[in-house]
Amino acid sequence: MSDILGTATTFAPELVVLASALLVFLLDVVGVRRLEAVGAVHVTGSSIALLLVLADLGFAPLAFLRTVGAGAIDVAPAAGSAPLYVVSSFGLVFQAVFLTASLLVGLASMSRDSREAGAPIFFGLLSLATLGMLFVALASDLIFLLLAVEVTSIATYLLVGYTRRGIRPLEAAMKFYVIGAVSSTLGFFGVSLLYGAYGTTNLFLIGAVAGTVGYPVLALLGYGFLVAGLAFKTTLVPFHAWAVDVYDGAPTDVSAFLAGGSKKVGVFAFFLVFLGPVLFVHPGAPGNPFSGGPFAIGPIVQVMLGAVAVLTMTVGNVLALLQREMKRLLAYSSISQAGYMLLGIAVGTGPALAGATFQVFAHVLMKGGAFLVVAGVAGLGVGPLVDDWRGLSQKRPLTSAAFALMLLSLAGVPLTVGFVSKFVLFSAAVDARGYFVWLAVAGLLNSALSVFYYARVLKTVYFEAPEPAPGPTGAVVGGAGPPALPCGGLGYGRAVAIAIATVAIVALGVYPQPILGPIQAAASHFVALGA
Amino acid sequence: MLPLISIVLASLAAGTVLTFLAGARARWVALATSAVFLGEVALLFVDYSGWPGYAGTPLVPGFAEEETHAWIHLSWLQVNYTVGVDGIALALILLTAVLQVATVVYSWEERRRPGAYFGLVLLTCLGSFGVFVALDVLLFFLFWEAVLVPMFFLIGLWGGPRRRYAALKFFVYTHVASIVMLVGLLATVFYSGSTSLDFASVDASARTLSSVDQSFLFLALFFGFGVKFPIVPFHTWLPDAHVEAPTGGSVLLAGLLLKLGGYGLIRWAVEVLPTGFANDRPILFVVAFVSIVWGSIVSLAQRDLKRLVAFSSINHMGIVLLAIALNSSLGLLAAVLLMFAHGIVSALLFMTAGSVHHTFGTRDIAGLGGITPTTPALSTMLMAGSLASLGLPALIGFPAEFAALLATWYGLGYWVLIPLGILVVTAAFYLWMMQRVLFGPPRGVPVGAHDVPWFEKLSMGMLVALTVLFGILPGLLVNVITSSPVHGFPGP
Repeated sequence: MSDILGTATTFAPELVVLASALLVFLLDVVGVRRLEAVGAVHVTGSSIALLLVLADLGFAPLAFLRTVGAGAIDVAPAAGSAPLYVVSSFGLVFQAVFLTASLLVGLASMSRDSREAGAPIFFGLLSLATLGMLFVALASDLIFLLLAVEVTSIATYLLVGYTRRGIRPLEAAMKFYVIGAVSSTLGFFGVSLLYGAYGTTNLFLIGAVAGTVGYPVLALLGYGFLVAGLAFKTTLVPFHAWAVDVYDGAPTDVSAFLAGGSKKVGVFAFFLVFLGPVLFVHPGAPGNPFSGGPFAIGPIVQVMLGAVAVLTMTVGNVLALLQREMKRLLAYSSISQAGYMLLGIAVGTGPALAGATFQVFAHVLMKGGAFLVVAGVAGLGVGPLVDDWRGLSQKRPLTSAAFALMLLSLAGVPLTVGFVSKFVLFSAAVDARGYFVWLAVAGLLNSALSVFYYARVLKTVYFEAPEPAPGPTGAVVGGAGPPALPCGGLGYGRAVAIAIATVAIVALGVYPQPILGPIQAAASHFVALGA
Repeated sequence: MLPLISIVLASLAAGTVLTFLAGARARWVALATSAVFLGEVALLFVDYSGWPGYAGTPLVPGFAEEETHAWIHLSWLQVNYTVGVDGIALALILLTAVLQVATVVYSWEERRRPGAYFGLVLLTCLGSFGVFVALDVLLFFLFWEAVLVPMFFLIGLWGGPRRRYAALKFFVYTHVASIVMLVGLLATVFYSGSTSLDFASVDASARTLSSVDQSFLFLALFFGFGVKFPIVPFHTWLPDAHVEAPTGGSVLLAGLLLKLGGYGLIRWAVEVLPTGFANDRPILFVVAFVSIVWGSIVSLAQRDLKRLVAFSSINHMGIVLLAIALNSSLGLLAAVLLMFAHGIVSALLFMTAGSVHHTFGTRDIAGLGGITPTTPALSTMLMAGSLASLGLPALIGFPAEFAALLATWYGLGYWVLIPLGILVVTAAFYLWMMQRVLFGPPRGVPVGAHDVPWFEKLSMGMLVALTVLFGILPGLLVNVITSSPVHGFPGP
């Protein structure tokens, strides 16, 4: 009994999220379909879970909520044991990131059109996807990891297509599903090869066995398949092509969740596989058993990861330059940002890991926030093209200002959170010396390149004159529109979500220490846990 | 002790925000902010040990008024909010304050979006002030970039016919340069194993770097700062930006922005990487001589008054670079004096060029003549500016150029003939321009043209007065500059 209770407290945040998902489905059955009510369940659930996670991370004011003792976090398992999960402060940081994304998207989605088919289910699926993401952050076994990724994936396939309206969401959902199934298969196949090579799927045991057996061809093949499978989820070049169509076709709030939230699942899995229970570590990392040894395979893998990171950034940025539609532009920019996150793994030191994690967190605020604005603005009758945003600043000054801040942050302009995350990441790369300095230079040149397309959007929004208002005849096509929402047509929930993201972008850009400090501590624990 | 510099920074920032929000009354808010800023800078001077009559206790070696607070503290990255001034920074801060007041007064009748215009002018000055006081790599970079953005908008929104092209060119050139500069500074920090990004820490540990490393890092920093200078061949943004910018923008560009490059080179490259500087000096000399000769020859070919002043800026900043490259205390003093002098004089000349344009509808030297009877005040200002620029004794240009030539003679011997010869050519050209535009029979003077309005007279008159004051009493500045804790100077 005490065992079950102990497990229950360890999984308290997950249980809360699961409960909120079930409650949403239950409410749907009972007939409660008001979006505000259903959304409130999801938002409440995510908020409680977020507070629990923050308490476990050691935020002093929340100490009374603590469910996992400080002594039980960041503890390496006994040698030879094969735990399915470990509670690490790094995993908790990612849980907090995931819950933030879920919370922001849930808040904004409370302002969706209530008459949409299946709208209440949206929140249930969102909670389920979040649940899978929370489990990912606990995994220490490859099967556990891939199963958790599957939970998230299946929920997100449904999220992309749940409106069942129009051909584009359906096409996007189908594409997403097929690609997702292929990538999961690749991942599982890779794990089975690894099992053949090492006789276990536990990451700690693999680390121990590889220390003596080395890396036979079978294992390398297994890693190859596993990495390819995860690269799909993370939208790394050349596995990125699906992402743009899916982000473009999905309901925009879902795109916000995909780009800001569920994609980070792949990023965390990468961290876990490459850095966690040491497989391919930076040769200079303290305690790395392979430095200079017979299994010094790390540097080669690092060069490959670095190349993929630079390729991903560059391809994403160059293609973003060519886009005329706002959502596709943001989707390509999202691909390029995945490159920055991978850079952290390629460098592979604790500082670089902290920088990449902060970049993940920043990306939730700026890219997730930007998609939420796009969704809200679409509700005001603005079309999908960048040119449709002409002169929006004159009609919606506050919304435009928030959007401008998000884009400036994505471009890495000082005094925004995006600048701090890039600064930390690149300085960590320079700190690692060697050819990593050139990775930093490539990253900096890429951010200089990205300034152009963000600046073009800003120019459209701020410097160009708005379209003349359509005549009264044009406005009545399709009957009376939905009633105008409060908060400048955005609705309360969306306005609050956008405001939170904007304030956080600026506040953390000016003073990042409260978030960056814990992330740094967690990252160094994580690297130490594997070593 | 009062956190004097933070108070100045905060009041300037608050004034800038208020100006942006003030709409039609922005000019009054801007004027009040600049006046307060000038007063505060005066306080900084009175509190500084190099100032005559300073009676406080002698300062400890290092920066006066230094303040430091933890900002971002990670295991491998210690970023602090650290600010402080020395004499070099103080001289340039005075320049910032003076030019801010002068620009606000000169642009008094700006009617197009005055809130944004005056706000951007103040923001440029705020960024420059920040650059001069920042003693932390990240803080320095933040302020450095904070100067770029408002200037981009000043050129792009209020500029002349080719403003979009000029604004974009300015932004791309200087932004790429600042990225190289940032990488150079970060590499200096991490390769030297400096524990924090503070100037003191970077300065101390950078000396441990190998000679080759220092040479490369110095080159990266030289490129980063040099584009702002601007050095030939990366100077082509300057004529476009200066000519297309509105007059207020040109004044800040020539008066302040070019000085950021010089200050950055002295503070963050020459001081921090002395060995690299010593190794790379030949490159600096070549670039300096090319800039001096090229800037001057090209300015001879200009017919547009504003382009003439713009190219002569390249020539003058070339002399600044030469003086820095001499690596002597007299050369350093000359460089700072030259920057101060050029800041005041080029601002004055750009104002007169702007006023000529408003009054006569053209800046074409060949199309103008004998304007003195119509606009006596403007002509006086133009003459004063030109004479100061060509180095007439008793005006501010003279002590600066004299010090620079003297230092060159000590350092390089007969090579001094190159800048000296160029000075003669430039002087002749200025005299020709004055003779043509100011005297002789009137040409190109529209009917009903009258002298410039009071606010233009006031702002230009202020700069002329400073030209004379510091021309007669350069010791006021020299004492302050040489009390900096820089090697070769007597120090505080």
